[in-house]
Amino acid sequence: MTREILLPGITLIPFLGVMILLFWQKATKNQAAIIGIISEAFALIIPLILLPILRAQGEVGFSMQWIPNMAISFSLTLNWLSLVFLLTEVLVTLAAMIYSLGEKTGEKQSNFYYALLLLFSLGMSGTTLANDVFLFYIFWELMLIASVLLILLWGHGESRFKIALKYFIITHLGSLMVLVCLVALYINFDTANLDTLTNQAHTLGTELQIFLTAFFIIGFSVKMAIFPLHIWLPDAHTVAPMPVTIILAAAMLSMGTYGILRFPYNFFPVETLQNFAIWMMIGGLVSEVYGALMSLAEKDIKRIIAYSSVSQMGYILFGLGTLTIRGMQGAVMHVVYHAIVKALLFMVVGIIISVSEERDIRNLSGLGSKYPVLCACAAIGILGISGMPPLGIFNSEWMIFSGGFDSKISTALTVLTLIGSIFTVFYGLRFFGGIFFGRQGDQNLAEKTPKLLIVPTVAVTAFLIIEGLMPGALLTWVTNGLAGIFGGAI
Amino acid sequence: MIDRILIIIPIGILIIGSFSIYVFSRLAGLSNRDEALFTSLVLLVTTFSLILLYQKLPDYVSSPGTVFGSLDTGGIVYTPSTHGIYILIIGSVLGIFITVFSGEYLSKDPRYLVFYPLILLTLAGLAGILFSKNLFNLFLLTELTTVSASALIAFRFHQEISIKAGFKYLIMSSIGTMMMLLGIYFVYRSIGDMHLYQSLSAADNFTRIGAACFLVGFSLKAGVVPLHTWVPDVYGHAPSSVSGLLAGVISKSMLFIMPVICLRLGLSARELGVFLIIFACMNMVVGSIRMLRQTLLRRFLSFSSIAQTGYLMFSIGLGLYYDIEAAFSAGLFLFLVIAIMKCLAFLNVGIFEYYYGTQDIDLLKGLSREMPFPAFSFSISLAGLAGIPLLAGFTGKWMVFSAAIEAGDLVALIGLGFFIMSSIISLGGYLPMIVRLYQPGNVENKLNISSSRMPISPWLLFPVAVLSLLVVAIGIYPTPWINWVTQVLNWMVL
Repeated sequence: MTREILLPGITLIPFLGVMILLFWQKATKNQAAIIGIISEAFALIIPLILLPILRAQGEVGFSMQWIPNMAISFSLTLNWLSLVFLLTEVLVTLAAMIYSLGEKTGEKQSNFYYALLLLFSLGMSGTTLANDVFLFYIFWELMLIASVLLILLWGHGESRFKIALKYFIITHLGSLMVLVCLVALYINFDTANLDTLTNQAHTLGTELQIFLTAFFIIGFSVKMAIFPLHIWLPDAHTVAPMPVTIILAAAMLSMGTYGILRFPYNFFPVETLQNFAIWMMIGGLVSEVYGALMSLAEKDIKRIIAYSSVSQMGYILFGLGTLTIRGMQGAVMHVVYHAIVKALLFMVVGIIISVSEERDIRNLSGLGSKYPVLCACAAIGILGISGMPPLGIFNSEWMIFSGGFDSKISTALTVLTLIGSIFTVFYGLRFFGGIFFGRQGDQNLAEKTPKLLIVPTVAVTAFLIIEGLMPGALLTWVTNGLAGIFGGAI
Repeated sequence: MIDRILIIIPIGILIIGSFSIYVFSRLAGLSNRDEALFTSLVLLVTTFSLILLYQKLPDYVSSPGTVFGSLDTGGIVYTPSTHGIYILIIGSVLGIFITVFSGEYLSKDPRYLVFYPLILLTLAGLAGILFSKNLFNLFLLTELTTVSASALIAFRFHQEISIKAGFKYLIMSSIGTMMMLLGIYFVYRSIGDMHLYQSLSAADNFTRIGAACFLVGFSLKAGVVPLHTWVPDVYGHAPSSVSGLLAGVISKSMLFIMPVICLRLGLSARELGVFLIIFACMNMVVGSIRMLRQTLLRRFLSFSSIAQTGYLMFSIGLGLYYDIEAAFSAGLFLFLVIAIMKCLAFLNVGIFEYYYGTQDIDLLKGLSREMPFPAFSFSISLAGLAGIPLLAGFTGKWMVFSAAIEAGDLVALIGLGFFIMSSIISLGGYLPMIVRLYQPGNVENKLNISSSRMPISPWLLFPVAVLSLLVVAIGIYPTPWINWVTQVLNWMVL
């Protein structure tokens, strides 16, 4: 009972960190980083402390009055599904914070930089925990605002101003679609509490249910960067400083998945969702192939990995669209594995850029012999993203495809998606071969890879291998989480 | 008896204060700052008297006969209207900030003596319009606001452009008041009286034509779209503090007077509601699109003000058309937050102008390095107007959304579509402004000013700081303010 009090600490302690950083104007980068990492670590430790309660009760809740006359409260809840997303997001943020110690980003005004990183992560943890639609939207937008500010203030090049605007406006469009749905639910049942809404939402009329599901899925797909709503992603990922790119690609994209699972999938019966299954599968397929092809065509190494996100999100949408328990388990596991692999790949790209000061893949070659450790990490990352066993993504893709065959909606689509995954191997090998194989070019290379960058990279690589070999705990959590949503309906 | 006199005490304080401050300052040769302090004292007293009146409101609601003046033919009547007190409290509190701000802002103007009395007179006129229940009296007091406001707009009379702006406002507003006069003619012809103490029992087509005339007149003064042409010129060239008062309180309050008059004269709520919703859509479209390419900050803010007039009209229109209480509370809440944010935005532009002599955003690029706090608080006001969560504007947006979805009808949903579209388009206006303030750039080089990081006068900083805090506070904890709005709505008699 007493330990449940800790739950709001997941948002409040990072917020305290933000406050300290805002007022500590003279903090050096290391000092700011320590504050940032410590307060973020609480967001990792608290869920782990709460784990026994979660096992016993199935969820941990906290609620406090906020705007009583609008029936809005500050209520958070931790269940198995949000645990998976929360831990993914917090781990990625921590990795990015440590990684940015070895980076140039944020040397000026470090306190603001780490405060914004904390806020970004706070927005995401709040999104996963919020048990109130008003609160959910506030955290949802906080995550957007913090990331836009990070791109604006620490991004590369003059074009960042236009790109940040584009990113903001397009994603905000998706958010507004979500907002319409949230308000519609709030008005219909006169409550903002998600638990109550979950119990009652199926009583809505069929047409309204279909309308809301469509809006929810499109709105969240913008955040997931599904083709053709992905146009903000490549530019935003390219101009953002590397730690921010890592959080954007590895953690923020998955919030769209969480939204789809938390709202339409949680609220409406399978009969409503079935209207969208085929479209989600098609959207997933198109996104998968398009992202991979664009990734093959790109020359900038950061953009190659950025487009690969579009492709990977395609798998997730496909998995959700199958509407089978295996497909959805696969989708959620894919979120986690994708986060690890994407963080790893962007870290590798960051190191390559920092040692060679070159972003064009045509000017890079033969780095393998000079940096063997980096080369090994990159190889594992590329094999991971191509779905090579025993690395994690193999597990999740396996489940997504078997979900696709289970679903009986369209076997042909599943076969096409399976074949489409070959493109991932193409761009992966092009990336790896182009940079690490061949004769060393005449560019000026640094003697050694910076230690502060390579250590977190190796750690993430190790984590990827461990997680791929032992998916048991994760699978249990995901299964519990999905059971909480569907209650065995599928 | 004391109850009756209490009704006109706020108006009395404002008018007496206005004349005595003028005479006193002239005789004593007061400096600008002293006069500003005296004026803010007068406004403070007015605010207290309004709060007193507000607390006594339940008595007035329960005994409707307690009015100031006579109900006989030809008599004038003042009643304390609930929404009127609400608007006036907001107006006079913002007035305090504006006069304090002007204490420094006008220090380069030789004619400061007349500025403060005119501010008080404008507010007195507004109070009169809100309290008066006699059409002819209403007309006179509208003229009072018009004349004193146009004198304020043309305050910097050595600049040709200010004279032009003042003249434009005078002409356009006079057309509006002429329409009202025409409306009075129709009403008087039909019922032979000019009382509007309660809804007319004998409303006929003539009074309805009269109502339409009043509708046009008030629309003009509120800046409803085809009649909005004065808005950018006036807000763009009046002193910044005056623009803040006009855009934040005075012109938008017309939207709350309009339904009371028109409904009493026999227009049906549905007719008025549909009128407001249609023109609200036009306001949102015109305001948000014209906002995009502006470089002069105050011109930019005027177009955003047109869009916000649209948001207000939309929520009031929804309330009238569907008879939803949530829409009225959204309207009242939106009025409060827009007034604060708009005022804050204009005051910040005033600071930029005061120190750099320009309001052109291209020249002010990179201002955040020279003036971190004003740039930050200007960003807060713009982000609030854009409806970013945890700032005041978002709660208003949420309430309008809920009202429209609660109505759930085709008209409401089309209006909601316009509302969403407008808020997205206007993001494309607000965000670049914020971005440009934080972009690298060198303000000094462009403007040939040598000193960097000049200290900003506390007279300018104080109002801006308090208003920024309010914007954040209302955004984070809107409960007390929503309670206030709910209470006002419970006591309100249309």
